[in-house]
Amino acid sequence: MKGLALPVAAAALLALGALVALEVLRPAPVLTPVEHGLRIAADLRCPDCQSLSVAESHTAAAGAIREQIGELLAQGRNADEIKQHFVNRYGEWILLAPAAAFAWWLPPLVVATALAILTAWLLAGRRARAGAVEPKPGLPAADRQRIRDEIEQLDA
Amino acid sequence: MRLPPLRWLLLPILIVPLAWLLFTGLGRDPREIPSPLVGKPLPVLAGATLTGESFSSTSLLGTPFIVNAWASWCIPACVDEHPVLMDAASRYAGRLAVLGVLYQDTPDGARRFLVRYGDGGWPHLLDPSGRLAVELGVTGPPETFFVDADGIVIAKQIGPLTFETMAEYLADLGLSE
Repeated sequence: MKGLALPVAAAALLALGALVALEVLRPAPVLTPVEHGLRIAADLRCPDCQSLSVAESHTAAAGAIREQIGELLAQGRNADEIKQHFVNRYGEWILLAPAAAFAWWLPPLVVATALAILTAWLLAGRRARAGAVEPKPGLPAADRQRIRDEIEQLDA
Repeated sequence: MRLPPLRWLLLPILIVPLAWLLFTGLGRDPREIPSPLVGKPLPVLAGATLTGESFSSTSLLGTPFIVNAWASWCIPACVDEHPVLMDAASRYAGRLAVLGVLYQDTPDGARRFLVRYGDGGWPHLLDPSGRLAVELGVTGPPETFFVDADGIVIAKQIGPLTFETMAEYLADLGLSE
């Protein structure tokens, strides 16, 4: 079991690296203005309905936002600038995904830290218990045997 | 039994963030809904009004004013709020202006509302494309913006105004009796 851990970890790391490389090296798709607009709209919350993006909703407000996205794209603004345009009016609330990457990483980070602490704590406890049972390594075997015999005699 | 030192680390690691979260949560005013526009200049709201004139919010600069996004279908909230707006407009006539912005409404519907519940005489901008609502970040009527004489938004109310909340906001604008 122990001998397998290193190769498995190495293979997993290699696979992860390959995935990242594929994602980074993949050429960006060429989008038409409408597709580009819909991509941006998909990241914005529809202001007058629930749980829908601006791209999916048929309400008047979603329509007005889609129209403005088209105009802003025609003016040469990029996706981030356009999203910021709506954040300046509605607040961060309008973004379906929080802009701060920190917000995404916080929960897994907290869980990972808690797991690490718990594992360390359990291991420390086990080591302490093991240490209590195992005799000190410096003691000669003959002395150890003699101590055991005497304890048994006491118990008897 | 002597506890391993790591156990003592667990306690503050769990308690400190939790206490911080609760503390900041309790410090918040649940009635206060943040708007990115508060503290910033009101976007220019221009277009045709219900009476067919063209109007721009820039003409209101110089006196404090209220921008009220409303709709005739917004019942009962807009109906409840209407007397509050009427009262403020007449009480502070000359010192406070009011501008209505129709939210996803038809001119006919809005006219019928004003006939039924009273017309305070202030202009109402039509917003057929919804552009003005997006400029203001309106999510649903009624929403009201309190703007000082320099055109800076000092507060935003989501939901109907009452006589009490109106008095508080107007005091912030320097209007009180």
